Amino acid sequence: MVKRALFALLLLLPAAFASAQQQPAFATNGNAVTIALPASVLQHAAVRKQLGSGLTTTFIVIARSRDRTAEGGARVEVRYDLWDEIYHVRRFEAGRRIDQQRIESLEKLEQWWRTPSRIISLNGQRIVLDVELRVLPFSGAEEEDARRWLSLPDRTTSLVDVLIGTTISAKPIVSFRWSAEVVRR
Amino acid sequence: MRRSGAAVTTLLTVAAATLLFWFFLHQISSVWLDVALRPEVRDALEAGMNDQRKLRDLDPQQRAQYRQRFEENRRLVNRIDVIRMSREAMLRRFELALVVVFATSLLAAALVWWLRQRREAERRRREYVERLASWQEAARRHAHEIRTPLTAARLEADRLASIARSGATSEEVDRAVESVFEELDRLSRFTREFSSFAALGEPVLRSEPLDRIVGEFCATFANAWPSIVLRWEPARAPVPVLADRDMLRQVLVNLCTNSAKASAADVTFTVQRDGDRVLLDVRDSGTGIAPSVRPRIFDPYVTTRKIGEGMGLGLAISRKILLDHGGDLTLVETGAQGTMFRLAFVAG
Repeated sequence: MVKRALFALLLLLPAAFASAQQQPAFATNGNAVTIALPASVLQHAAVRKQLGSGLTTTFIVIARSRDRTAEGGARVEVRYDLWDEIYHVRRFEAGRRIDQQRIESLEKLEQWWRTPSRIISLNGQRIVLDVELRVLPFSGAEEEDARRWLSLPDRTTSLVDVLIGTTISAKPIVSFRWSAEVVRR
Repeated sequence: MRRSGAAVTTLLTVAAATLLFWFFLHQISSVWLDVALRPEVRDALEAGMNDQRKLRDLDPQQRAQYRQRFEENRRLVNRIDVIRMSREAMLRRFELALVVVFATSLLAAALVWWLRQRREAERRRREYVERLASWQEAARRHAHEIRTPLTAARLEADRLASIARSGATSEEVDRAVESVFEELDRLSRFTREFSSFAALGEPVLRSEPLDRIVGEFCATFANAWPSIVLRWEPARAPVPVLADRDMLRQVLVNLCTNSAKASAADVTFTVQRDGDRVLLDVRDSGTGIAPSVRPRIFDPYVTTRKIGEGMGLGLAISRKILLDHGGDLTLVETGAQGTMFRLAFVAG
């Protein structure tokens, strides 16, 4: 009986470990809650593949208080420059760019990735958050560029081209959801 | 016949809808989209980018130029990737659009079919009402035509009985008997008119010179209708047609009788060739046909005359004769200046 329980524990341990690894780190900074996204997001196969595409991989964090009284978010953009073979990264909080860098390697990108971002205001002592991270395969500017390209005025634009033009939109390639209770320190 | 026509229209509408669907579907193969979605295009662009990078390493002096070409390719690759990643949504949108187009086309076809059915039903109803009115009118005329001589004959028979009892002379008896016979003859004439319509025989067609028949008719019947003058324009050469001379004469009599009743001063006959047909135009200077009866002028019992002045069978009989000849009788024009009928014959 004990042997069987130990065996089950051994089986569950890696899953539990992996689950723990994917949890972001929440903290408070003044009147705001910050999030440090886990490196496992960048290591996700679909994300890793997308990072090397040359398109701007866009990470959108949406945070809501459980009681739906507060809402906020952050955005991170990562574009791999295929010519210089470096990563261009930008971080936005509350729609404002607060950080922009050129990063030479994936290891350094993972380090930078852990930098906390402010996602929501903290009014009381504690807050229960539902957080969603959506990974979009390209940025709004790239979407607009492709749409414009399809409907250039100097060539015959069919009805179908117009239809396509209005259909292009970034759908998340992968999403993550977390919940956490954050207490002011 | 009408039902098959409606079916053909519906089929054509569905075919048009399918064609529209096909056209829309083929729009997908727009050149630019094809280019964007072909994997070999992307591969070629990527190979081009790699080449530029290699060239940069081999020839650093031209770095800016290689970079520019590289960026051009990269932008294209990016656009293609964006489009490819939206492909699922695009396909869904396409399918939806196609379904909408097809459904709309089918709906339009169904609407057209429904409207046609409604219009057809309305037309049938209107025709039935008109036929009913004709039958009522015919019943009134029949009753009048039969009742009048019957009443007169009965009165004469009563008078005959009365004068026989009072010891009248044989002359008086003869007059009364003659009067009864006159009324019975009138009844007999009336039934003969119906017999001629009901038992209209098949024409015996022979090659006959139409212009000569018309000429003879004008000569023979010159005094038949004192109020009108018959004119004809002789053709330059003989115009043979397949016709039954007696039946043709009956048609001309009917037309001239109508012209006389329409207060015409003259009737003019003109013969002309029209391909493998020969046309005989009969034009009078009468008062024309009332607009209310024009569309049904060839239907039996359709007439504007008063009860007792005819049953409205003349034109129906005439047209039946012409149809049996392989030709037709049509009303070309009518108005205050007169009326023109056209008789079409098969050239003999």
